[in-house]
Amino acid sequence: MNLKMLSGISLGRVAIYLILIVFALLYLAPLYVMLTTSLKDIEEIRSGNLLALPNDPTFYAWIKAWSSACTGSECNGLAPFFWNSVKIVVPAVLISTVVGAFNGYVLAKWKFKGSELLFGALLFGCFIPFQVILLPMAILLAKLGLANTVSGLVLVHVIYGVAFTTLFFRNYYVGIPTELVRAAQLDGAGFFNIFRHVFLPLSTPIFVVTIIWQFTQIWNDFLFGVVYSGPGTQPITVALNNLVNTSIGGKEYNVDMAAAIIAALPTLFVYVVAGKYFVRGLTAGAVKG
Amino acid sequence: MLNLLEKHLPKIVIAPTTVAMIVCMYGFILWTGLLSFTKSRMMPQWDFVGFEQYVRLFDNPRWHVALDNLFIFIFLFIAISLVLGLLLAIFLDQRIRNEGVIRTIYLYPMAISFIVTGTAWKWILNPGLGIEKLLRDMGFVDFEFRWLVDPDMAIYTIVIAAVWQSSGFVMAMFLAGLRGVDDNLTKAAKIDGASAIRLYWHIILPIMRPVFFSAIVILTHIAIKSFDLVQALTGGGPGYASDLPANFMYTFAFNRAQMGVGAASAMIMLFGVLAVLIPYLYSELREKKS
Amino acid sequence: MGHIQLNNICKSFGSTEVLKNIDLEIQDGEFLILIGPSGCGKSTLMNLIAGLEDITSGEIVIGGSDVSDKSPKDRDIAMVFQSYALYPTMSVGRNISFGLEMRKVPKAKREKIVAEVAELLQIDHLLDRKPGQLSGGQRQRVAMGRALARSPKAFLFDEPLSNLDAKLRVEMRTEIKKLHQRLGTTIVYVTHDQVEAMTLADRIAVLKDGVVQQLGTPYEIYNDPVNHFVADFMGSPGMNFVECVVFNDKLVIESASKSYQLAVPCAKAIKDSGLESVLLGIRPEMLTDPKPYDDSGFVQEVCFDVEVVEPMGADTVAIGKWSDTEVQVRLSPESGEVAGEGFTLQVDTSKSIIFDPRSGNRIR
Repeated sequence: MNLKMLSGISLGRVAIYLILIVFALLYLAPLYVMLTTSLKDIEEIRSGNLLALPNDPTFYAWIKAWSSACTGSECNGLAPFFWNSVKIVVPAVLISTVVGAFNGYVLAKWKFKGSELLFGALLFGCFIPFQVILLPMAILLAKLGLANTVSGLVLVHVIYGVAFTTLFFRNYYVGIPTELVRAAQLDGAGFFNIFRHVFLPLSTPIFVVTIIWQFTQIWNDFLFGVVYSGPGTQPITVALNNLVNTSIGGKEYNVDMAAAIIAALPTLFVYVVAGKYFVRGLTAGAVKG
Repeated sequence: MLNLLEKHLPKIVIAPTTVAMIVCMYGFILWTGLLSFTKSRMMPQWDFVGFEQYVRLFDNPRWHVALDNLFIFIFLFIAISLVLGLLLAIFLDQRIRNEGVIRTIYLYPMAISFIVTGTAWKWILNPGLGIEKLLRDMGFVDFEFRWLVDPDMAIYTIVIAAVWQSSGFVMAMFLAGLRGVDDNLTKAAKIDGASAIRLYWHIILPIMRPVFFSAIVILTHIAIKSFDLVQALTGGGPGYASDLPANFMYTFAFNRAQMGVGAASAMIMLFGVLAVLIPYLYSELREKKS
Repeated sequence: MGHIQLNNICKSFGSTEVLKNIDLEIQDGEFLILIGPSGCGKSTLMNLIAGLEDITSGEIVIGGSDVSDKSPKDRDIAMVFQSYALYPTMSVGRNISFGLEMRKVPKAKREKIVAEVAELLQIDHLLDRKPGQLSGGQRQRVAMGRALARSPKAFLFDEPLSNLDAKLRVEMRTEIKKLHQRLGTTIVYVTHDQVEAMTLADRIAVLKDGVVQQLGTPYEIYNDPVNHFVADFMGSPGMNFVECVVFNDKLVIESASKSYQLAVPCAKAIKDSGLESVLLGIRPEMLTDPKPYDDSGFVQEVCFDVEVVEPMGADTVAIGKWSDTEVQVRLSPESGEVAGEGFTLQVDTSKSIIFDPRSGNRIR
């Protein structure tokens, strides 16, 4: 399908390319601004403008953002919070993915009375605004002694991430022929053996999609982070927000920008490297859900 | 005995998630709902006071600002994202060279946190040093862009940032949908002499209806949950001029020690989501049956 | 050992009754075919025997022991699926030995069995390949190899040939028959292809709507069907059915605007039934061009208007009408060339079957 019919041969296509490129620049602009700002010094920022390239690029802002910027009452930069996020994300992603895999396996191939209802209820749960569970979850975490801890956040992310991971795996496993399960049953394999020998080897694509999706969701989360963490256990998103809103000694926009990029780097990196799986996750969850 | 265990293994495996779901989703919703009918302030207090908290909620001018903002935000965010996403998808579908690169560029904003987005746009829209200064340096000496600190315009900055972040996703959905349109259909239309615009308007767009609806549902969902972006971009300000219900809830439940009101606001948000979700699911199910 | 007894098997899915009171006894070493139209329950019955579905009521006894409550792996049965269901990520060799692997058979023994089976089925050169790299016929063999490796009490085949092209199907049919003769293991085989049924079976069970219509040898099913459904189902081209008025112990038909009276073997039974009109069932091969015959009193010539001819190679099927009902006849290719109006048709009613037109039951 092309627009040859509309106007002359090349004019239409030139217009299309132009528009697409303009928008590409618009989408890239904030990233460009963040980068350039982070490499300028404060004087230059005040005297120059958004799009100007740095005269004398310096990593001052980056170093400060990482190790000595103030995030509220502490001034240790983003580094400790970066590691907090890592400590939260790694177990949460792993656990929610593994649990989702087994759940998806059960819901796709081992249906029982009420299993479809269960799936529906789980699916529905993906859509609730988390505001309705914030308060009771806070109380539950306090009762479990997990308030303001990294483990508490891991628990929260696992509980609410399992709905999505189950959805992904279930939709994927539904596409695997059920006759394979039957054949394996006749061959003497039970529930776990069938998973291990038949489904797991086929699951690499969906594991990748799910892990990337979960990693992005959990690393980028702010709501759970800000409600359930305390001083010292905050994830990087919370620390970033604190950093930007703490203006002890005047606003240092370059530090703010450097901090923002640091916070975004892991997920951006994953996106650049494995982007197509990310997109698959987005559209799979959306279109089929 | 072992046979019995084996037989029920699937149920056993899914049991923990089932329990977690019943407690942490539906149970908690019930809890919050019940709490919204109590006198709770700093701690939960199970003195039931009927709809008092809801009355207090709707008497609160800040809540009304939040609701107004939500409607403005939802409407603009969805409308602009849909139009933009659709247009870009249609253009990208025209056998573009380097389509992959362009798609990657449109979608990368979805990979970053709303906090990062908010932080970036907060700087870009900075009243003195952001866009205003840029355009003034470019020659538009009297250009003013102070939306960020303007109580009437602050909410629109949120729209801008949100559209930047999410329109790529809408584009991806539409592109997938366009690619799913049968080639034979477009060929038949061409033979029938349809112009490009006619083709899209009369044939392709109607086919894309399901994608439209999915996109609207998802965008609405994102909009209703929007919390991070507001916190980072405007902090709800100036004052509470750009507050959204999610921010209101957080402030009242956790900062203002007004659990009852916070719970009530959360329940209203839930109903908002349900109001969009249930008709959508109903129509989907009906379509599947017929 | 491989004796299978199905006692009063009933199966319902929710409120839908799929199998009703199935009683079937399959002898050890027998090749039994389950055949019937879609939805008749044959695949469900197969799944029940395998243990892949639960019986609603009734019992299944295999090799003398009641397996009704046993899981599939404890029934010592192997199955070949319509889509082969080969494990896509495993090599052919592992596919075949997987069942043995699950039963903790030692590696050396497993390899020996795989080698034997592979040689028997001529797939030994494929052992390292993955199923995705094989042709349809090869996959079929691997699926059979997987079943053979287990040396089960009985084999279940669920339409194993329906995914193959016509020529391959004929080849594999012969292979399966040879395999059965060689191994002597009980086989229960589901198909909707009656040619397969006739050529492979020791006995055939014809199913319709969850009920066994008839159980018998191919000969019995073909020549002695118990009702209209079975008679109609088997045979290609199928049996002709013409409703005829009874007159003086004979059946009246109209052909080429003339009236004829046909004598039939069960004239007495017709008289006893008191019916005034019956359904005459007569197979196309009993309606031929004139040729030598034994005078049994059931052969006569009628005039026949041929409307359409369908040359099939070895013979030609010609179509015309008796009493306004379409009738198919088998002619030699030469007669078929010239057949038209007023053709002289030889009618042999010695093997004709008579049915009650309303119930479809056989009148004997």
